[in-house]
Amino acid sequence: MATPVRIRRQLSVSPWLFAAPGLLVTGAFVLYPFVSTLVNSFTDRRTLLPGHFVGLANFRELLHDDMFWTGLRNSTLYILGVVPALVVLPLLLALLVQKNIPGITFFRSAFYTPVVASIVVVGLIWVWLLDERGLVNSLLETAGIGRTGFLSDQWLLLLSAMAVTVWKGLGYYMIIYLAALANVPRELHEAAAVDGAGPVRRFLSVTVPAVRSTMVLVAALSSVAAFKVFSEVYLMAGPTGGPAGEDTTLVMLVQRTGTGLTGRVGYASALSVVVFVVTVALMLLVLRADRRDES
Amino acid sequence: MPKPRRALAAAVVALVLPLSACGSGGDGGGSTDASGKVEGDITFQTWNLRANFKPYFDGLIADFEKKYPGTRVKWVDQPAEGYPDKLSADAGGGTLPDVVNVSPDLVAPLAKAGLVLDLDKAAGKYRSEYLDGAWASHQVPGMSGTYAFPWYLNTGPLFYNKALFTKAGLNPGRPPKTYDELFADALQMAKKSGGQVATLANVPTFEDFGRYGVTLMNRQGTAFAFNDTKGVELLTRYKELYDAKALDPQALTATPESSGKKFLTGAVAMNPGSALDLDNFKKNAPSLYRNIGITDQITSTGHVNMYVMGVMVNSRTKHTPAAVAFAHFVTDAQNQMSFAKKVAIFPSTAGSLNDPYFTKEDGTDETRVRIAAAKSLKNAVNYTPVLFSDQMKTALRNEVAKALQGKESPKQALDNAVNAADRLLQQG
Repeated sequence: MATPVRIRRQLSVSPWLFAAPGLLVTGAFVLYPFVSTLVNSFTDRRTLLPGHFVGLANFRELLHDDMFWTGLRNSTLYILGVVPALVVLPLLLALLVQKNIPGITFFRSAFYTPVVASIVVVGLIWVWLLDERGLVNSLLETAGIGRTGFLSDQWLLLLSAMAVTVWKGLGYYMIIYLAALANVPRELHEAAAVDGAGPVRRFLSVTVPAVRSTMVLVAALSSVAAFKVFSEVYLMAGPTGGPAGEDTTLVMLVQRTGTGLTGRVGYASALSVVVFVVTVALMLLVLRADRRDES
Repeated sequence: MPKPRRALAAAVVALVLPLSACGSGGDGGGSTDASGKVEGDITFQTWNLRANFKPYFDGLIADFEKKYPGTRVKWVDQPAEGYPDKLSADAGGGTLPDVVNVSPDLVAPLAKAGLVLDLDKAAGKYRSEYLDGAWASHQVPGMSGTYAFPWYLNTGPLFYNKALFTKAGLNPGRPPKTYDELFADALQMAKKSGGQVATLANVPTFEDFGRYGVTLMNRQGTAFAFNDTKGVELLTRYKELYDAKALDPQALTATPESSGKKFLTGAVAMNPGSALDLDNFKKNAPSLYRNIGITDQITSTGHVNMYVMGVMVNSRTKHTPAAVAFAHFVTDAQNQMSFAKKVAIFPSTAGSLNDPYFTKEDGTDETRVRIAAAKSLKNAVNYTPVLFSDQMKTALRNEVAKALQGKESPKQALDNAVNAADRLLQQG
């Protein structure tokens, strides 16, 4: 028979046993790579050659690296271009598909389809559409506007990639908003309607305040994802990161610098640390803004 | 141990563990002596060859295992995309196969990391079986030794669209042979088509600078030199093409695949390729195939560009004699010839290019391309130095793009590219 002491010991061990698989996976695939990256950022390690401790040399170098500033600029622009759209548009979409009318399931599924589609497939489809001889340019030419270099102009390329990110993310955030909208008391809308508020007024005075915390969540999630953008830009701008690398984002730079047989792992790690610091700062900024608004 | 101390210990372990990666790697290698008995299990890795050549490699491996009872070869094939990343992951993780299909630029970093067997020492007796240039192609500047058996060579003609040439008022029977003719024809093509048809779809690469006669590196091989007068001249002329839309507007971000597609759809009039492409044209663009023109690579040096493939032996293999024997077996004259008859590649073994298969016409386009390529290979050059890494290629490409867009002068762009490449070279 187990003694009280043994039972107490078992009770203190068993939670750890349940948590062990998760902790092991987190340790091996999150904690260890994180610490490893941090350590490597202070070395001149190459892919195949051991590195030496170089202190802050990598961080000093990236301050003088034009490509780093290009990457930082593009990743920041990505936040500015993508986040407002991903906070507002899915909410409007959710309001549209929230209604229970015949055939609405089809539209909900249709809007969600890009979310489940592979980003590679999505990227390729948009490259075909926006190509110099693609469908979009053919339509523009037919309309007399003329062909536009969506994939050859530095800024249009970045805007095109942002449009794809928004297009692909709409459905995902729409679902989050649908859940939030389901919790908005109908009485509030009815009361506002009785008071003579029109649809716009009801949206601004009832819906928005009710889903405000969800909007903050969407802003936080989408800004972190936007800052770490890789696939869309890589697929549309090519491995060089657009003409003269002008559309390179920070994560693309990490990939380009640190991979391959001659990769500069130490320098790429320093870049990764910067990405980490900025994303944490972004999260804190959004959450702090939310808290200030609440108070 | 009190909890805070345990947490501290765990944190220290987590921090110290990655530092172990900063030390020199353990040796754990096999013998460099290849003279023992050929036996044991080895792994052979190819680069995107299984899909089309499985029966050939199955037969090759069966022949080897029959010749050397007691050996067993496990064949693995990796996709073309991300092959260097796969190699670096294997090399870093200590799981590099015993025998690996590589190109010279992939051999260099692996050899520097001590992961490749020096064949001058381990298999020098086979050296005379190969063309001198091919054997030398896997030597690494700054290191003594040869780090892979030369395997197949490749070069390719320049394809052009005769219909587009005719439309532009150019003689389809007289394609450009020199750079002057190429640039003149390209400008005329752009003018006549109102900028709708470009002649070229790619920005100049390192090989283009080589073919134009630019000095690529200093004599010692310690610094790049492609910012000389000829280099600036080539880039200036490409800028003229870009401004006139004789160079495709999307060339700045093009890949070989995307420019090939543009040629297939008639958006571009000329594109480099190989005899392999003829099949693709036949299947996917029959109207283009009816109008296809084939001409030699344009070169001012008299030497076309050649691509070399090699087969290296992992210096840490546990079965050095078997690995060396197999790498030699794959690349010997008989097996290279047999492979060349299955695909449009060329053997790197001495005398093989004199075989009637590479010299005798039979009236077909495939044979014509093969014979012309084999002829040009005899004095072809691999213009890309083995130390020209992917990072250097990106730096050059970005600077070329800036020059074409007019953001920098060609001279400034090439100076920047040389500085960036030199800096990367010095960093190792």
